[in-house]
Amino acid sequence: MEDTEDKQKTFMGKEYTLGKDGRKIIFLTKDEFLPFMKRLKESGFSHLSLITGVDRRDYIEVVYHLHSISTNEIVVIKVKTKDSRVPSVTSLWSSADWDEREQYDMMGIIFEGHPNLKRILLPEGWIGHPLRKNYDMDTPQYVNMDEDGEDYVTFDSGDGW
Amino acid sequence: MAQVTKTGELGIVTTKLDEAMKWGRSNSLWPLTFGLACCAIEMMAVQASHADVSRFGSEIFRASPRQADLMIVAGTVTKKMAPRVRRLYDEMPYPKYVIAMGACVIQGGPYARGYSVVLGVDRVIPVDVYVPGCPPTPEALQFGLITLQKKIRGETNR
Repeated sequence: MEDTEDKQKTFMGKEYTLGKDGRKIIFLTKDEFLPFMKRLKESGFSHLSLITGVDRRDYIEVVYHLHSISTNEIVVIKVKTKDSRVPSVTSLWSSADWDEREQYDMMGIIFEGHPNLKRILLPEGWIGHPLRKNYDMDTPQYVNMDEDGEDYVTFDSGDGW
Repeated sequence: MAQVTKTGELGIVTTKLDEAMKWGRSNSLWPLTFGLACCAIEMMAVQASHADVSRFGSEIFRASPRQADLMIVAGTVTKKMAPRVRRLYDEMPYPKYVIAMGACVIQGGPYARGYSVVLGVDRVIPVDVYVPGCPPTPEALQFGLITLQKKIRGETNR
């Protein structure tokens, strides 16, 4: 990112850097995050393409790709969080619902204000978040179904698969 | 010409009931409509016109496990899916057969060191025929089906 410092410009009052693919990358703090996202939504970024998380060990970076269908422009919003909590954007884009659930499932990011923040891919009882750097890969977990058809997670390889 | 008098001109063949059952079962293996990942695309190709598995009596992919004889496990079996695979297998009536299709189903494939994939569907259900490949070609799956038919008839595969 050092080489892009000299050509810094502003987009809607925020400084941005250009990524390798020419997309604007805007770093936001947690406080200014939700008001700025609201402004973006109002200025035409109607499509939330994806939400991802990056585990930087010291902190977690949450990445939002926003697409404006009218101008065919994509901006990348990055938020750093040390306590793995960020505000939910489900109030702005309802498509954020499952994206945020996936990031909660895989990265353990807690989206404050999400209406139904529970695991979307793994069974409810799974221990840990697999895409975290500190996830324990050496102790496999197994899944089985009880008589009511509910999944449960076990460490006993004889009880599940 | 003893054989001519036995079969006659009426087209009658005498055989053991056991052999007739095996012949009938092996030539009407109705698979379960059931695909888990990319191997299922090749399984669909087997059912479509070019490979056309109906020539071997397996044309009807049943939508219910209670009407199926054969389960083609086509695609990665995740740990979350494994109890469902087991339940589907348990719901099938006897005699029932299983073909494990593809590297993931046989031993985990490229996900063998991951956290979420069952390392071989034979840990979940008993497997009759393994079809290796990533994914296996439709021809390979056809060969697996023919191998299973031979297995049902008690023939050796030469």
